Formats: sequence, structure tokens, C-alpha cells
Amino acid sequence: MTKFTTRSLCTFLLLVWTSGVADPGTVFAPDSAGGAAGKSRTIIVGCKHFTEGYILGEIIAQILEDRGYHVERKFGLGGTLICFDALRNGDIDIYPEYSGTITQAILKLDDTTSYPTVQQMLIRDFGLELLGPFGFNNTYAIAVTPSLAERLQLNTVSDLARFPKLRLGFSYEFLNRHDGWPGLARTYRLPGRPVGIEHGLAYQALRENDLDVTDVYTTDGDIDKYGLVLLKDDKEYFPRYLGAPLLRRGLSEGVKRVLGELAGKISEKEMQSLNASVLIENKTFREVAQEFLRAKDLLLSVRTSSEESKWTTMLHRTATHIKLTVTALIAAMAIAIPLGVLVYRLRTIAKPVIYFTGLLQTIPSIALLAFMIPLLGIGVTPAIVALFLYALLPILRNTSSALFSIDPILKKISVGMGLTTWQQLRHIEIPLAAPTILAGIKTAAVINVGTATLAAFIGAGGLGEPIVTGLALNDTSLILEGAVPAALLAIVTEFIFESIEKFLIPKHLLQQRVS
Amino acid sequence: MTQISFKHISKVYDDHNGTVKEALRDINLSATENVTTAVVGKSGSGKSTLLQLINGLERPSRGTIYVFGQQIDYEQLPNLRRRIGYAVQGTGLFPHLSVGENITLLAVLDGWDKERIKGRVEMLMNLVGLPLEYARRYPHQLSGGEQQRVGLCRAMMLNPRIFLLDEPFGALDPITRSEIHEHFIHLQQSEARTIILVTHDLQEALKLAKEMIILNDGKVEQTGTCTEILRKPATDFVKSFLRSQLGNRPRRKR
Repeated sequence: MTKFTTRSLCTFLLLVWTSGVADPGTVFAPDSAGGAAGKSRTIIVGCKHFTEGYILGEIIAQILEDRGYHVERKFGLGGTLICFDALRNGDIDIYPEYSGTITQAILKLDDTTSYPTVQQMLIRDFGLELLGPFGFNNTYAIAVTPSLAERLQLNTVSDLARFPKLRLGFSYEFLNRHDGWPGLARTYRLPGRPVGIEHGLAYQALRENDLDVTDVYTTDGDIDKYGLVLLKDDKEYFPRYLGAPLLRRGLSEGVKRVLGELAGKISEKEMQSLNASVLIENKTFREVAQEFLRAKDLLLSVRTSSEESKWTTMLHRTATHIKLTVTALIAAMAIAIPLGVLVYRLRTIAKPVIYFTGLLQTIPSIALLAFMIPLLGIGVTPAIVALFLYALLPILRNTSSALFSIDPILKKISVGMGLTTWQQLRHIEIPLAAPTILAGIKTAAVINVGTATLAAFIGAGGLGEPIVTGLALNDTSLILEGAVPAALLAIVTEFIFESIEKFLIPKHLLQQRVS
Repeated sequence: MTQISFKHISKVYDDHNGTVKEALRDINLSATENVTTAVVGKSGSGKSTLLQLINGLERPSRGTIYVFGQQIDYEQLPNLRRRIGYAVQGTGLFPHLSVGENITLLAVLDGWDKERIKGRVEMLMNLVGLPLEYARRYPHQLSGGEQQRVGLCRAMMLNPRIFLLDEPFGALDPITRSEIHEHFIHLQQSEARTIILVTHDLQEALKLAKEMIILNDGKVEQTGTCTEILRKPATDFVKSFLRSQLGNRPRRKR
């Protein structure tokens, strides 16, 4: 009976796993067999996780698809350095970047460096190619609500210096950049201590009057949506941020020529309205990018890109999510259970091993994911490795502590009756420890289902994708599109493990453990 | 040939505090084959240590032990132990295995065929008066005395020529204990073997054993048949031990 159920369980898990194995990239890649020579290789387009990044990434992807290239999208990557490293590692081929960001955050130069100089330095130092700018300047601006501006007579950034009690909340990137808050505070002699806040949430905080001042991008669609007042940069502190495609060296001339068609095509006003159509009209990135390309006569083929139904997308995301979680869990079981046994047999290594895995557990998930990038790049592999590391401790600790707590009389008997070390383990110790080991695996599985949502920050896909996008857009329904299935998945996981327990473990042993 | 003998056996424990405790000192003895020998003495006298030296759970600090007439090969302990039955205080039954699985575990691992296993289990369960349908139950569903009998069956499964018992009936109430004693005697009558029984209860020793080894503070005070020892106590310790356990029963310490 138990043997049969174990086998059918394995089959079930295998089915779930293989169904998720379908490469998540193909999910989004429309079937555009260009057939032209040199176009067979897939071009991987990345972008950072904010509205404009997604739109520009989608515009780049669609124009390439239109010309017959096979495109894979790795959107919503965690930040500038994650994108830049991914590009250098060859994990992505293209992503939209800003000239000011490159001079300040990457080249560490002052903001007067000219565009051609930046292009030359990128080639020389990193082998990366910055194409001609799209046309708009998306620089930082300081925003306040109209009512506050009126009440305090705020017009310029200099005016802020008069009000040290204002509540400042800036995006983490802005707070930590050379051309962000530190320089701004110095230039304008601004008092006050800003708090860090996720950019997408800052607008809501302003509207709810939880915050007085925040940083915005000049092309933000939210500026119109919330009717915010931008303070004049009267000391001309903010550098120019010209958006442009940043390319890995070695892409074909054809790709560069196609992307070159985008140069000078998007003005600031146009970018604002593209952002607003996503934010206010709730259009998808795909629709907005397609309408733009069509309006500018940049689409040659009449084929509309195939839009997936919401449910299919959700199903694919869930499958990817399960694949991430289950693969990491199985790997963790394969390592942590034998390691737990080893810890039990060789007591001297017990403390170091458990401390070390405990240490892994204390690393914040997003930081652990960031550590993975230099080692493994972005995508599914680093995400699985990170989830694997998180799953180790609960399984290891439960395995070893369950073995340590076996009744000493039973151990003595199993030795004294003549069982070999392996037989003791196989027939006595592991079965007695099984309820606790299984509980550890369940804990690890539920942790993994939750943590896997963060994997979207490094392009691994899954249910985190709508959450990350939703955070960038401040779109609650989009966040729920990921959060609700993730929560359901966690509940289903609990349920599956309860059933496994029922099949594998005699009832009275479970009751013993609970009481 | 089950010959068990100890030659100049000492056992020293290293305490964690650095103090050294001598559990057994220069023990020389041999057990008579196919009879029950009881090892009696107060707690801390070294009875359990002596027993566990026979199946290799403990190793002597000095001296040599012969089992089945041969020096113990410490590389081959599982093989030796399968030929020696072992039961301890409390039942020591594995809670995740059914009664039947507990009894047959060793035989299954040794690759016995089903018919042979079935025959042996039925024989043993009948011998100790356990209903056959108990085989499907789990140990916790049985009374203490029934569990104890399952323990005896398990130890007897491979029909070992030597059987070691470490205070096996200590935790039972007097009525259950005397029932078990009957089953034990019955078992020994039907399949005679060399039995070493450790107990602190002289009454139990006299009832079940033919010979006795009396230990005190790690040394052998006297060996011999029960009747001999009762008639001629060799030392003052044996005299007072016998008197304390048999003479003034109300003042007997537990």
C-alpha cells in the first residue's frame, strides 16, 4: 500500500515538474519565423522594473519581432546594476538605459560628459554599445502636491530649504546615487532626513498625505494622473537622462539598424502619454508599444502580436512558479536529508553545519538573489539556487533533531539485535524521524512558494512577475494577480503534504508528534 | 557450543569531569550452557555492563571475552548479535512497526521465505499466549505485559542459542510479572538455550534461574547454583544481601 502510494506520488510530482519545464521564454515569444539568415538566434531584451522600462523594452522587442527576429523578454529586472551586469554577462542582449545613469552610476563621471564621449567610453571599458537616444530627457524632478505647493508657495527646489519639517520620501535608487539626494542636499543646502520608499508607492503616499516630497521622473505618467507640481531645478543640478538602447557588443548590424529607426522618435510629451496610457487607461505594455509603433509607421508586417488570454498567462506563470519551487525543494531534500544524517552520525560537525545553514537563512531574499547574479547571471538557475539555499535549513534541522531525539532504548535495541548501521538507518531511525523530517520539508516548501515571488526581480518569471510589475505600476489588481495564486499555491502545498503524511506515516506517530 | 567466558575483564569509564570509574574489576567467569544464569546485585554493581560486554555494546578495558567459544571479533558485531537474543527494560518495541513486523524484522532482513517466517511467528506467539490477530496491531494498542511478550518473541525469532535479558520485567506490575515468568519458563522448557538474566530482584532470579552470579561494586562475590548460594553464602556481603532481600521483606528496598 505505502509502496504504491509513494510511487504514484513521485509520478505526480514528476508530472507537475515537467509540465513547468516548458521554457517560460517561449510563452511570450510569438511564432515569428523570420527565416532570414542571421535571424535564427534569439535576441534577449531586458528592462528594469518600472513602467517606462517595460514600455521601452516592449517597443524594442516588438520592432525586432516585426523584422523577423526571435525575441525573448526578461523584463522587470531588479535595478540598474542587475541589468548592467546581466548585459555584461551576456544574459541579456539589449535593455533601455539613460545617459545620466550611465555617467553617474556606472562610469562615475560628472554630469557634463557629452553623449559621444559616453558612447566611446562604454565601448572602450565594457564593450557595450549605446545607440542614438530615443529623443526624450527623463531626468529626476522633485514633486509635491498642488495643495502643498500653494500653501507654502513652493516653486523651486531652493524653496524647500525654508521648510526643514517637510516629510521627504525618495526611491532607494535616488537616495543612494551620486546624482540623487546626497548631491541635491548639498547643492541646495536642504535640511531634513528622507526615508526610502518604493517608487511605485510614493505617489499613493503623497495622495494619502503620508508624505510631502518625493522624486519623480519627468516622463512619469503619474504626474498627470495625480496632478503633481514639479519644482523648478533652479540651480540646474539634475543631469540629462536621455533614454537609448544599450547593446551587448557582437549583435548583428541588422539589429542595430532596426533599433536605429527608433532614434529621435519619442519626445518627452509622447513618453509621458505612453506612460499614462498604461497607468491611467490600464492598457497593457504590449498594446501601448504596438499602438506607438503603428502610429509612427514603424511596423512593416500587418501581423498583430498574439496576445495570450489572462488565464493562459496565469497558468504558465503558475507552472514556472511550481517548477522553481519543486526543483529547488527536491535538490534541497537530496542534500539536506543525507547531511542531516551525517550530522547525526558525526556529532562534531553538527554545530558548524547548522550554524552555517542558519546563516544562509538570515540573508534577506532580495540580497541573496543579488549575490547570485555575478556567479550565475539572471534567470531561472540563480533563482533555483537561492531557493535551494533557503530550503536547506528547515529540512536539515528537522532531520538531525528528529534523529537525535529518538528514544535511546530503541537505538540500543536496534544495535543490540544485530542491525547493521545502514539497516538501523533504513528500518528504524529514518522511519521514526519521518514525521518531523516531513514537517521540515513542508516548511521549506511553503517558504519557497513565498520567496519564489521575488525571483521575478532577476528574470526568473513565475507568479512574482505580475507582483513586480504591479509594484512598478502601483496597480493593486496586477499585484493580486500574482499574490492570490501564490497564496493558493501555499495552501495547496500544505494540503498535499498533509495527504503525503496520511499515506506514509501511521496515525499514532503523527498524533504523538502533535501532542 | 555457546560457551561464554570472561578472562581478567576490567571495564573503566572515563567520566566527563576527568574522574575515572571502575565498573568491573578483573572478572573471571564462565556461564553454563543451556541453563539460565541470573546476574544479581545492587544498582551500580556493574550488572548491565557485564551483560553488554557479551554482545559487544561495551568493550572491555582489559581482558578477553569468549562467546560461542571464540574471542569476539569487533569488526563483525552485527553477525555475532544476530545469534544472540537481546531484551531490555521497557518493551523496546519499534512504534512505527506492527507487532508482526517487530517480531519478523530480523528474519525478513536475513531473507527467510514467507512460509518459514509465518510458521515461526505462529509458534512463538502461541508459546507466549498471544492471539495471532495481534500481529497486525501496533505496539501501543497492547497492554504492558503483552508488549513484553512480543519483545520475547522478537528476541527469539532467529532461535538464538544465547539470550541476554537486561531487567526485562522491571517495569511490570507484580501480577503481570508473574504471568510473564510463566511464559518465560515455558519458552525455556520448549527451546532450551543459554540465558543471562540481569535483575536486582532476588526472588525473580530464584524463580527463573538455575545458577547465579552475585556482583558487588564491580567484583564477583559468588557464583554457583541457586541452591548452593542459598545454603552456603561465601562472603559477608552475600549473607547480608540475601537477608535484605529474603529475610525482612517489609524493609526490602526497591
